[in-house]
Amino acid sequence: MTTDRTPKIMALTTHSIFFDAYETGSDTLTTQKKIWALAQYCQSSDDFVDIVPANNNLTLYLKEPAQLAGWLPRLLDQWHELKASDFNSRHHKLATRYGGEYGPDIAHVAKHHNLSVDEVAQMHSSAKYHVLFLGFKPGFAYLDGLNPQLFTPRHAEPRLSVPKGSVAIGGEQTGIYPESSPGGWQIIGHTDFRLFDINAASPCAIEPGDTLEFVIQEVLK
Amino acid sequence: MITIIKPGMQMSIQDQGRTGSRHLGIGHSGCIDPYAQIITNRLVGNDDNNPVIEITLGLAEIQFDNDYYIALHGTDMKATVNGNAVEPGWSFYIKKGDVLKLNAARHGFRSYLAIGGDWHLPDPILNSYSTDISAGFGGLTGQALQAGDSFEVTPKYNTKVGLGAMLPPKSTQIRIHAGPHAALLPKDTIVNFINHSWHVSPNSNRMGTRLLSDECDIRHTVSLPSMAVAPGCIQLPPNGEPIVLLNDAQTTGGYPLLGTVIEADLRHFAQLKPGDFLHFKFVTLKEAHAAQEKLTAHLNQLAIALNYINK
Repeated sequence: MTTDRTPKIMALTTHSIFFDAYETGSDTLTTQKKIWALAQYCQSSDDFVDIVPANNNLTLYLKEPAQLAGWLPRLLDQWHELKASDFNSRHHKLATRYGGEYGPDIAHVAKHHNLSVDEVAQMHSSAKYHVLFLGFKPGFAYLDGLNPQLFTPRHAEPRLSVPKGSVAIGGEQTGIYPESSPGGWQIIGHTDFRLFDINAASPCAIEPGDTLEFVIQEVLK
Repeated sequence: MITIIKPGMQMSIQDQGRTGSRHLGIGHSGCIDPYAQIITNRLVGNDDNNPVIEITLGLAEIQFDNDYYIALHGTDMKATVNGNAVEPGWSFYIKKGDVLKLNAARHGFRSYLAIGGDWHLPDPILNSYSTDISAGFGGLTGQALQAGDSFEVTPKYNTKVGLGAMLPPKSTQIRIHAGPHAALLPKDTIVNFINHSWHVSPNSNRMGTRLLSDECDIRHTVSLPSMAVAPGCIQLPPNGEPIVLLNDAQTTGGYPLLGTVIEADLRHFAQLKPGDFLHFKFVTLKEAHAAQEKLTAHLNQLAIALNYINK
């Protein structure tokens, strides 16, 4: 851990910086916690328009190109000073109804893994998930922490409309549909937790680095 | 009242877009050519960031239920009002009941309509009136404008009318910054990308301009951890057909980048239509900065001239 390789850092444009800590030696989640801590540090400056974490990397969009030269060395210095534990996250509990009309694919997921519907709900709700980053659609969170025993291939034919709030598994990932949209993931449940409301003052209830858990409200057969 | 009679291929309300929410997955939206938007607004006495209507291809009709100063800019769509030709790049007076008719663009792809006055739209979302068509919010209804859509604009006549201004020149040579993935892609990928001309695929839209080449094969199998992407990023999917991301692009992506279009040249993508050819050239940060300064100077000169004329 102490022999971490130095992240790569480069100017993408006159006003944006790509900071890449992928494969710097630590495990993905430890590196990601440092990415969140670095993002939090940069948020305390007034120099940025946008600060966007993704998978073990961070892209920073500056207000003024003149600020670029100063930030290149500063980000690296800061990286070496920061610890994964410097990041403080919020935790969310998402009451979830599994199965029945709320999770039309849960029986398929259970059968695929030779589990019962109850076991799928138990396994899915007993993990603590980290919001690695958001993307793809507004409010869509990429979650780390799905039990490998629940990895399930996507549908060959995506559904034309998956209801807002659907909790689903797609390959090695689990996620929540922030809005109704087409989608190919296996739908195992539904939460009324409002992930995303464009008319709210802060439209997104969860942010990169938050943790969340699914709490069983009921399991329907 | 402004009423859309025919929206044509696509028409949407846009300003300079949203910033500050990319980490939540919320994209930029906004006019693909922000310079056309600013200049057109200035010709009718609006603030620079006032919304305009971005019109793609043309074949559209808009009715005005009041007297307004309006201006059209961008590509020439052979517009008429009551049968009289309207020149792009000039402000003019349109009377109550008049219908602005747009023909099809032939040498470009988009034009921008500014209407002088206060636009009465639903409250801005994250400080912008721009329509995010893929996410379904902003603008008038969260969608591209449809036939029958209408909204109120309280006219203002706080400028002289009959003013003209040029846009910065067009180009099909696109200047780009080097990207982070050159060493990961197969040998010669970047050289081949730069040394060939590309043409615009019909599958292009406000999310991205997709590029095709009959001669250049730069397919690959490189897969990467997701990173943030933004307008200007040139993604290379495994099929070897690059995508220049534009204003409605998503905020993260996992394809390798060939490079990033310099900010000053992003506006050219507003006018590239399916079949058009373009090619790319690497520049230094210093050259990119100089290109940006040139555009800023263009806007500054216009501000000085308008200030003098309207005095």
